[in-house]
Amino acid sequence: MSLEVAGVRKAFGSVRALSGVDLSVPQASFFALLGPSGCGKTTLLRVIAGIYASDAGKVALGGRDITQVPMHRRNMAMVFQSYALFPHLCAFDNVAFGLRSRRLPKDEIRSRVAEALALVRLEHLLQRYPCEMSGGQQQRVALARALAVRPDLLLLDEPLSNLDQRLRDEMRVEIRDLQRRLAITTVLVTHDISEAFTMSDRIGVMQEGRIVQIGSAEEIYHRPANRFVANFVGPINELPLTQVEGDAGGARALLAGQFSVRLPALTRAGPPGSDLTLILRPQALRLGVEEGETANRYGAEVEDVVFLGASSECRLRIGPLRLLAALPAGSGAKLAAGDKVMVGWDAADGVVTDGR
Amino acid sequence: MMLAVNIVMLVAVLAPVLLVVWMSFTPTASFVLPLGDFSLRWYREALSYPGFVDAFFLSAELAAIASLITIAATFLAAYGLVRFRPRGREALMAVFTAPLLVPAVVFGIAMLQFINQLGLYNRLVGLVLAHVILVIPFAIRSLVATLGAVPEELEWAAMMLGRSRAGTLWHVTLPLCAHGLVTAFLFSFLLSFSEVTTTIFMSGPSLQTLPVRIYNYMSDRIDPTVAAVSALVVMISLALVLALNLMGGFRRLAAR
Amino acid sequence: MAVDAANISSAGASASRLRLRPHWPFIAPLILVMAAGFAWPLLHVLVNSFHPNTPQGLDAEHWTLTNYRRLADPLYGEILLRTLRISAAVTAISAVAAYPVALFIARLSPRAQSWMILAYVSPWLVNTVVKALGWTLLLRSNGVINTALRAIGLIEQPLRLLLTETGVVLALVPGHFMFVLLPLWTAISALDPALSWAAGTLGATPAGVFRRIVLPLTLPALIVGLVINFIMNMTAFAIPMLLGGVRNQVASMLAYQVDLVSLDWPFGGALAVALLGFTLALVFVGQKLAVIGLSSRGGKPEVSPS
Repeated sequence: MSLEVAGVRKAFGSVRALSGVDLSVPQASFFALLGPSGCGKTTLLRVIAGIYASDAGKVALGGRDITQVPMHRRNMAMVFQSYALFPHLCAFDNVAFGLRSRRLPKDEIRSRVAEALALVRLEHLLQRYPCEMSGGQQQRVALARALAVRPDLLLLDEPLSNLDQRLRDEMRVEIRDLQRRLAITTVLVTHDISEAFTMSDRIGVMQEGRIVQIGSAEEIYHRPANRFVANFVGPINELPLTQVEGDAGGARALLAGQFSVRLPALTRAGPPGSDLTLILRPQALRLGVEEGETANRYGAEVEDVVFLGASSECRLRIGPLRLLAALPAGSGAKLAAGDKVMVGWDAADGVVTDGR
Repeated sequence: MMLAVNIVMLVAVLAPVLLVVWMSFTPTASFVLPLGDFSLRWYREALSYPGFVDAFFLSAELAAIASLITIAATFLAAYGLVRFRPRGREALMAVFTAPLLVPAVVFGIAMLQFINQLGLYNRLVGLVLAHVILVIPFAIRSLVATLGAVPEELEWAAMMLGRSRAGTLWHVTLPLCAHGLVTAFLFSFLLSFSEVTTTIFMSGPSLQTLPVRIYNYMSDRIDPTVAAVSALVVMISLALVLALNLMGGFRRLAAR
Repeated sequence: MAVDAANISSAGASASRLRLRPHWPFIAPLILVMAAGFAWPLLHVLVNSFHPNTPQGLDAEHWTLTNYRRLADPLYGEILLRTLRISAAVTAISAVAAYPVALFIARLSPRAQSWMILAYVSPWLVNTVVKALGWTLLLRSNGVINTALRAIGLIEQPLRLLLTETGVVLALVPGHFMFVLLPLWTAISALDPALSWAAGTLGATPAGVFRRIVLPLTLPALIVGLVINFIMNMTAFAIPMLLGGVRNQVASMLAYQVDLVSLDWPFGGALAVALLGFTLALVFVGQKLAVIGLSSRGGKPEVSPS
């Protein structure tokens, strides 16, 4: 089922956790809520689940308003960061819990539990207790428990953060495959950018109780809505602009007061000369560009080259400006500190923001 | 519905204590709930009754001595347990908290017979010993927690700078534990001051603590005078409880 | 290299040898106090219980089992039965009230919780004689309860509550409730809230969450509390004595009679030993019950029974 959230507000005493959140998740898609700790993403998930009642706004599932529906009747399932497996019940009883709440007949319970545990490849652990399982096993039992009830909506609250890296990578793929196979609408909460990028169809970036951008991973990475999103999602170069002028066709400004730079068309009209910044990804900078190859081209001096294995980082100076360029493996070998090189990027690369 | 049970229970727990205080202000010689005309008459009676006054001072003296002895010995033992982590640590803790397993009556009988056959009947020493034993389980838990909160690194730093272990204990550890020590002392004092059953079994005619004195009085008759002295006991006890609460004492006492 | 390793390991060995020593001077004082004031008196009374009693007092020359045989006398059986009856009634009432009160408190804000717990714990720190006085004032024929009930018109004649078993039970319930409430409240507070949320999202109603999650996980703590409560009921003295009177004798009152009036210390000793044995047996059974319930479910006990 699809999920709609509109105008949700939630405060705890004087702390405003959610200040008006809107989002919609289409049926069978995978949505990630991404943001730093304290941004409200877990609170939002709990409001959707019905654990917290929102102060304002509504939540709808499959078109039906469920804002007033108590949590045990929403037919959602949640996997918690701590897994929340019932310690006094074995794996079978944990997975069967939701089915027993729905008063299904014994045979059906047995077959659905087997089915769910088979989905996570833990059929042999039926009689084990949570304290006798590893972290990875607990996590998968928690997932099986959620899937067994065939929920309309699957909610994942940072379920992988307590696992080690290798398991985490494995589980990301597994969960994504399961989600596709079973076509369950899913919302994931995470602070890990690569997790959100690898698993989801669309991402909502949250900042201080609000969703500041919704889009695909690519959109968020290359066209961040503001400085916060840009900086959260990956390393950036921030270049202050002055004497900005432009129109729908294109814009230009001055970098560091001296270099003329061509910018993408301004979508946000600011009074000329206001506090604007050009945000460039390190990958957008091209080294050794010929005349005419890119709209913007400057002479730069290499300050440092750092070899990181799969790529290299190159610190450059254009006049007083310091920039970071990302170089694919191999290309940095030719450069050393002190070298002079031509750096360029296209007018359409990068994003102009007003510093928020 | 849960609220109802809670209210009933809370009232049942608080009512006898609050009622005693309220009744103590009755203006008449029989028990009539004073509603407006509060009188201090019975307080004057109680304070001029030598039996109560002597008993009060005995109780205070006993509580103070017993608490001091307990805190001193228990602090040292707690230090030994926390800092040296000896192998029998759990067994020792079990030994020190064992008095909790012995009902007050049984301990009272044991002390009565023991004290008598040692010829120490009707002497303060016996009472002090009994009260010390009764208080140790609470003191040891509290002080172990207190010491646990002082990082060992501070002592190592002091010792590396030249102090002996004993000197470190006195100059570094003890001041840092001051708060916990005061809390433990207050709690021990309160427990000793309120001790009833064991003390009744051990009390001789001239050594009656305040609760025992009140008990003997009540076995005879019930009048507003005893209500007044009881009300004073309540006020003192609750004042100590509040002081303890303000000092955060209960959290530490609940620590295991 | 080999020399260094040898030095290090022998230094380690002597350090661990030293470790066993230095704690004794710190622990010794308390051990001495416990030996003198706790172990010795208990042993003493145990020994006394095996001596016969004579009109001149305890006969230390001879040994006997008479004192223990006397315990089996039906006269004492009645006292034991009454003690058990009263204790069971108080424990049963406390058991019923335990969850409603503990759950209620656990759902309050942290500050409110600490005040509530304080309200329940502080009367325990006021001595029980004062509380007995309070109950006397409440339960007398012209006491608060009877006056109030007559004023509303619920009864005509005053209820006889003093000098009855009922009165003793009524006074003991709130007096010893704290011993049940604290362990249970602690266990409930220690539960991961995500467990209740998980159960809720999986379709369990609030009642279902309590029955299937909270109850099984906190029951061991309740059992521990109930055992302590029962023991305190069995060995209470001031309240049964002042509110029940001589016609409702319980075990501790018998002990008073024997040790302080008849001065029959050998028998008093046997009585004390019997009471202690009963208490320890109860604690043992209670711990086993609490731990068994958990170990079969593979969980760790959430409350350390003590």
